[in-house]
Amino acid sequence: MIFDSNAFLIIFTGALIAISCGFLGVFMMLRKMSMTGDAISHAVLPGIVIGYFVSGSQRSLEVIIGAGLLGILATLMIEGLRKKAKVQLDASIGITFTLLFAIGIILINLFAYKVDLDQECVLYGEIAYLPIDLWITKSGLNLGPRVTWLAILNFLFVVGFIYLLFKELILTSFDEGFSSVMGIPAKGINLALMSMVSYTTVSSFESVGAILVVALLVVPPATAFLWSKSLMPLLRLTAALGILIAVLGYYLAYWLDSSIAGMMVTVAGGFFLISALIKGKKPSWLKGTTKVESPLGI
Amino acid sequence: MITQVENPVLEIHDLTVSYDQTPVLWNVDFSLPAGKLIGILGPNGAGKSTLIKAIMGLISPTSGYVKIFDKPLNDVRARISYVPQRESVDWNFPASVLDVVLMGTYGKLGLFKRPGKKEKDLALECLEQVGMSGFVKRQISELSGGQQQRVFIARALAQQADLYLMDEPFAGVDMATETAIFQLLRDMAASGKTVLVVHHDIHSAMNFFDWVIMLNLHLVASGPKELVMTEDLLRKTYGGKLNLLTKVTDLISKKEFNPLKS
Repeated sequence: MIFDSNAFLIIFTGALIAISCGFLGVFMMLRKMSMTGDAISHAVLPGIVIGYFVSGSQRSLEVIIGAGLLGILATLMIEGLRKKAKVQLDASIGITFTLLFAIGIILINLFAYKVDLDQECVLYGEIAYLPIDLWITKSGLNLGPRVTWLAILNFLFVVGFIYLLFKELILTSFDEGFSSVMGIPAKGINLALMSMVSYTTVSSFESVGAILVVALLVVPPATAFLWSKSLMPLLRLTAALGILIAVLGYYLAYWLDSSIAGMMVTVAGGFFLISALIKGKKPSWLKGTTKVESPLGI
Repeated sequence: MITQVENPVLEIHDLTVSYDQTPVLWNVDFSLPAGKLIGILGPNGAGKSTLIKAIMGLISPTSGYVKIFDKPLNDVRARISYVPQRESVDWNFPASVLDVVLMGTYGKLGLFKRPGKKEKDLALECLEQVGMSGFVKRQISELSGGQQQRVFIARALAQQADLYLMDEPFAGVDMATETAIFQLLRDMAASGKTVLVVHHDIHSAMNFFDWVIMLNLHLVASGPKELVMTEDLLRKTYGGKLNLLTKVTDLISKKEFNPLKS
């Protein structure tokens, strides 16, 4: 077991990404939209390719904007199919994201000779390369790993977003009709949340990839929900789980010499399984009507 | 039998609402006075909830318009309050009773602002009015149906509106609670608020409401209870449901309630 600056940076970045995804995931789950997060994470692919093609760089603002727009488009398509064409929610998610993802793959193939981008890079990502990908200013100042800065920025945006729109997010998640009657724009809040999810997904691509980011959106909130029935403990527990899976994921991956992101998600899955077993086994009279207990002393 | 009023709180003009080309409300046209407890009666599928949703702008009408306090809905949102059907939300949501009642104050708070002590005191007061003071910290997933309904009414009270629209607030509520809530609504009406309630039970409707709207796809009647609660109009509203109508007739004769004679 070693703990050096590289280990710290990787764990720190991994934890930030897991917490950002987890916080958004909590609200996605409350809206019963966890799978919409999945859809968005795949549907942003064409946006990334177009942004990449326009700017010629994988690290540009255009990529994030392109992905954000595609994320919103995916949300609108899902809603449109469901409301206008009366397709079931799961079917409309399936149609939307596979279609957009397929377009993304075709675009990659068409432009592949022009840009350095392939499906592997988008789908998997690799957080272990983070310490060698440095942000060096024009004057030659070394500011540390670029991906870590992206994760910090993303984390601040997510926390700021949730802090500012906390009551609107809760109200529109709980009772959309009531919030519309009050004049709180439920649709606008929904789209804002989806944009944040798109942005977070893109921002986390390089580290954990498009597939595993879905796990970070869904699994920690679902695990926390097994333990807590009120919102603040739910968010705190999700954050704690994010840190825990980053630490455990890193050292298990180090020990087995395997993918860190993969191990983080496996650890998250393990936590969920254990929680489900503990909570599921408990006889009903033990659950009772007691108030929320604080698991793990959080 | 439609009584129109001067200076109405709510005016509905030629409202037609359809889902996928099928009209569910036809040419509904009425106006309502202030300070009354008003019941909307009608059989299942008569369009009662649709009417409420159209008034609240949750469904856009095919034709016609709604005016509240003589203004379009968007200008007066802060003055109206809505109690949706209890089943319309997921009660497993991680929130306490107080959290839900506080939601009633969000409309007046505006974007980005958090509820403070003033809002909290108001919410506690509203909970006391519906007799739920003992459940402030309780998670909403642990409430019974009747308690959930009372939390919804407390949330509407916290909106401090002038016009209240309630979609079946008495579904799954026991008799004692129903009477208590009706008393609360009567007090609100007496203090000048207008309360519009979608209701099922014709018996209690006769006891409690001042004004009754009868609906069956089209508007059958709208007017003071004494004028509208007649066998003829009830028959028109409830159509061929003879069994039910016999019961209603029995009820009317038992209570010696015959507005035509008086």
